[in-house]
Amino acid sequence: MTKSPLKSSLAKPVLDKPVLDKTGLVESLADIAKRLDLSEIEYQTGDLKIRVARQMSTSYVPAPVVTHAAVEPVKAAPAPDTVKAESAGTVKSPMVGTAYLRPAPESPAFVEVGSTVKAGEKILLVEAMKTFNEIIAPRSGTVTSILVQDGQPVEYGQALLVIE
Amino acid sequence: MFDKILIANRGEIALRILRAAKELGIATVAVHSTADADAMHVKLADESVCLGPPAARDSYLNIPAILAACEITGAEAVHPGYGFLSENARFAEILGDHGIGFIGPSAEHIRIMGDKIEAKKTALRLGIPCVPGSEGAITEDAEGLRVAKEIGYPVLVKAAAGGGGRGMKVALTAEDLPNALAAARSEAKAAFGDDSVYLEKYLQKPRHIEIQILGDGQGRAVHLGERDCSLQRRHQKVWEESPSPALNESDRARIGEICAAAMRELNYSGAGTIEFLYENGAFYFIEMNTRIQVEHPVTEMITGFDLVNEQIKIAGGSPLSIKQEDIVFRGHAIECRINAEHPTTFRPSPGKITYYHPPGGLGVRVDSAVYAGYTIPPYYDSLVGKLIVHGRTRTETLMRLRRALDEFIIDGIETTLPLYRTLVRNTDIQNGDYDIHWLEKFLEAGGGDHIK
Repeated sequence: MTKSPLKSSLAKPVLDKPVLDKTGLVESLADIAKRLDLSEIEYQTGDLKIRVARQMSTSYVPAPVVTHAAVEPVKAAPAPDTVKAESAGTVKSPMVGTAYLRPAPESPAFVEVGSTVKAGEKILLVEAMKTFNEIIAPRSGTVTSILVQDGQPVEYGQALLVIE
Repeated sequence: MFDKILIANRGEIALRILRAAKELGIATVAVHSTADADAMHVKLADESVCLGPPAARDSYLNIPAILAACEITGAEAVHPGYGFLSENARFAEILGDHGIGFIGPSAEHIRIMGDKIEAKKTALRLGIPCVPGSEGAITEDAEGLRVAKEIGYPVLVKAAAGGGGRGMKVALTAEDLPNALAAARSEAKAAFGDDSVYLEKYLQKPRHIEIQILGDGQGRAVHLGERDCSLQRRHQKVWEESPSPALNESDRARIGEICAAAMRELNYSGAGTIEFLYENGAFYFIEMNTRIQVEHPVTEMITGFDLVNEQIKIAGGSPLSIKQEDIVFRGHAIECRINAEHPTTFRPSPGKITYYHPPGGLGVRVDSAVYAGYTIPPYYDSLVGKLIVHGRTRTETLMRLRRALDEFIIDGIETTLPLYRTLVRNTDIQNGDYDIHWLEKFLEAGGGDHIK
């Protein structure tokens, strides 16, 4: 029984031997694409250019029906940006309370954007039930952003400022 | 009436409270640990405040943080739910000192009923029948042996600061008693910080029957019937129903009125449950819970009253709007507590719920805060939700429960749903023929072995 040229060309990777059979070439390219999980392969020789593209199947998980009312994350804490500034220099609130940027209403702020701070310095106050808790700079550096306003309520874990 | 309340709890009860508040037009503040940032009630609340890291002591038990959250949000009152700070008299007091309402009874009543020895003394004084036992704490073995001989063995050594089924040891004979006393004391010390213990007669095959009451602290109180919570495992209720298969109308009216009268006498404010062991037609007081209970929906289904709504209104100063003659018991209701646990080993199974489809239809209620994609955190209790079914008769309710259980899908974690599917098909359960030991005996005898 003779092997058909088609089958024999499929037996080896297409680059190992010169291929003249276009159908076989397409099939070989498709085979390679599938085997190596490529989304497309383009092969050119002389005037011949062949492109084989695969339909990548994305696993579709049908969104299960949530029978509860509209699930909208409503976080209406009276706050502007509780932006998750997740850089290593972010100083987060260790407690629930009200953040103050200055030691007393008429005093200058502890720090401002651009201020240099040393580790251990007082940078903020968080007050709860009339008790003022000092927030200490965990590292030395420059204050690159202040994420709360003077007198703003804050929660545990809320980003207060960033020291780079 | 309050304009804004803070919900000092989590999970399904926090959602329950939120729903009642919304229906009353009250703004809601959800407080949560970092582990609960994606909780359903947090998403639905008007405001939310993160209290701290996952551990309960840093979050849900963190009184300063909760106070601070009230302060920064302007919440006027706190609903403590059940567990956590709900029966913490000091918390109620501190809130009062800061001018914040506590949706529950007075600190004094919490304290009286929190100490099981005091509770029993108070119950006796109020005319509530009690389990024969020691009059106070047992401080010496000799005293214990004397009292036990009087009331008759077997006896139960119970922690005065315990409750909820914890801190109890059985002594079958006089030989067992010294060890039981010592063991109960050391466990009580470790678990509750107080090693006071007292003795009670151990009832052999009692049912656990509890009476729901509401009082307004203005001299009025009503009872809303009983719940039979005999099906328990390690003193944790698993299945609750109302009416109790063991009681008739006159039993109910009699014990209900004793409880309501006692609450009027006490001038109790809020919701409460008086728990009894019931054997051979007699009721024996074991404890009172001064809070809303997990199984409250069962009572809501047969009476039509929203108990959390009533709690909030009473705490806001409204007189009790319900009169005893307004309370009519219709049909039958059963609740199954669905936990994230293996159905027979009860090994906890926290994790992500990949598919969630609750049952529906007439008379089917699901009180749950989970949703598809939600991850059950490992830090708290394993309650996924409660399935509550109502029907016109107990038989209809059982059929409906069977149908609802079979429709309920929770994938991704193990749940106790298969256990309930087995129980609802069991003859004893169908006959209402069970006591507080039934479930453990059933499981020990291999009743759950076919599951998985």
